[in-house]
Amino acid sequence: MCCSHSFEDKRPLAPIEKMDLEIIKGMKFFDPHVHMSSRTTDDYQAMADAGVVALIEPAFWLGQPRTGIDSFRDYYSSLVGWERFRSSQFGIKHYCTIGLNSREANNEGLAEEVMEILPLFVYKEGVVGVGEIGFDDQTAAEEKYYRLQLELAKEAGLPVQIHTPHRDKKRGTQRSMDIAIEHGLDPYMVIVDHNNEETVKEVLDRGFWAAFTIYPFTKMGNERMVELTRQYGSERIMINSAADWGISDPLAVPKTAALMKLRGISDEDIRKITYSNAITAFAQSGQIDENDFIGPQQIDQTERFEGNTVLRGGQVPRTDKSSIIIS
Amino acid sequence: MFDYDAERLRLILTELTRSTLNSDAWIWLNEKINSGKIADFNTAFVLMPRKTGKSVVHVSDELSEEINSIKPGLTFKNWTADRLGRIYLIFNLDATDHAVYVKTVENLFLTAEVSELVALYSSLPVLAWADAWKLRCAEGIRSNIGSVLEAIMYDNPYPSDYLDENAWNQLVMKAFFTDKDVNRIIGLDERANADLKATISDYTAERKAAGRKINPFLWRLTAKFMDAELLNDLGELIKHGSKREKQAAALTLYYSDFQPAADLLDEHPEFLAAIKNKELNWDTLNPED
Repeated sequence: MCCSHSFEDKRPLAPIEKMDLEIIKGMKFFDPHVHMSSRTTDDYQAMADAGVVALIEPAFWLGQPRTGIDSFRDYYSSLVGWERFRSSQFGIKHYCTIGLNSREANNEGLAEEVMEILPLFVYKEGVVGVGEIGFDDQTAAEEKYYRLQLELAKEAGLPVQIHTPHRDKKRGTQRSMDIAIEHGLDPYMVIVDHNNEETVKEVLDRGFWAAFTIYPFTKMGNERMVELTRQYGSERIMINSAADWGISDPLAVPKTAALMKLRGISDEDIRKITYSNAITAFAQSGQIDENDFIGPQQIDQTERFEGNTVLRGGQVPRTDKSSIIIS
Repeated sequence: MFDYDAERLRLILTELTRSTLNSDAWIWLNEKINSGKIADFNTAFVLMPRKTGKSVVHVSDELSEEINSIKPGLTFKNWTADRLGRIYLIFNLDATDHAVYVKTVENLFLTAEVSELVALYSSLPVLAWADAWKLRCAEGIRSNIGSVLEAIMYDNPYPSDYLDENAWNQLVMKAFFTDKDVNRIIGLDERANADLKATISDYTAERKAAGRKINPFLWRLTAKFMDAELLNDLGELIKHGSKREKQAAALTLYYSDFQPAADLLDEHPEFLAAIKNKELNWDTLNPED
């Protein structure tokens, strides 16, 4: 869950800088927060083309509130099942974090049932954390389920991916960290998401990972991200797109890498912020093997497999978008 | 409870799993099995790859033959260690109470991720109470996840042994629609039927109308249901098709009991000779050009 989609703070458009990803050709990216269930195959294709080799899809609010436990079960199953397969068709390794999001924690009856099924999912292969959890309205119910899920993460030895609120952000972020420490979590196992200029210092000072969401209008812009990198460097910092059902950009990570490169940020810092820090943080789950997405990517879609014309890894053939002909 | 010699398979499966896993994982797995608690069973199933890793299981030809003599078609070749560990775990689940057993296994399906689904569907032929899994197997064929379909379609004797004709035909057509290697479907020829042949005839006509290629293995399923129209199609194919298509047409004619089919094949002695001296069969078809 990423944004409240209030467009009131929409800034006037800066002069348009043409997108040119040529400058980051050959770089690999890891987007540690993107809601692919809400995106199309065109997005997957564009991400793969731009160098995204792996991603994490946190469990979130689908926009339409769920009214029963089966909707949650099927959603979690789809994160470890159908969506994982869809992603593999484009050669992108798909991981997820599993949790009860803060908004729906306010439906207490349902939240209780969700807590009962979470242990069925957090130990699954490719589940790299408990997330995204934390505060939205900062109600008592949100706090209750946030605390319960911190305990679950501790028990399962998994990192935590924290969603910080839009409203009253700074205090909400502080409170999220206070509670995590109160429950005995190592800050190095906690990724605090959706940071901005006002929250980042304390997050880093206290030893947590600081994630930034590059999301138009309501969150970080990537020019601001470049400035933040100049100020804070690249240690324990990562960026993500949090692309979802709202006006968002699944190429936010590669585009920001390109802008960083244009503005003189070092390759090593770019690599840490757009790739390796996220892996280091979430690999503490024991569920990420970098060999699964580095090395030669199997993208030759016409290649024969075991003497047959089966597309390897279930990859789908590419359509030619520049042609008016559909065959 | 079992439709095969489960005690013989137990010996093989135990030895194969023991020799595949490292000793820590082997001890852990047996502790979970011996506890007899459903919660331990569920946890062990989910945690399997963390304990076993994913190395590929080595099955010698000799062992392969022995497994085949217990359950024709079954093989553990190219399986990963976690998949083997999962089947070993399920195999050791107490099956005496039909209802409890079915519910416990069925529950695993409901929240399964991709590798778990693969392990579950490939365990169908060794499960107890074989009749109980027909609907589950048919449901699996409705999946669009490639590796799940392959777990049901490839080297898995359960579908041909237990699916009713409708579900079987769905499996076969889905295999063609998703470009699967149909040679790995067990019982493909044995379960060919007139209804499937009718579907294939419509489908090949539709492909022709759309100007799309026709998978030559489709013809294989029509051999026993030859008629004049089909003979006409095959006659065209053996004259004007690609090398692969010509071979497929020849094989289809060869395996037909329809006299005009044999007469037609006689006009192409080079294919007839190749089939007779075993150079040409459905496994040796020329690659697509």
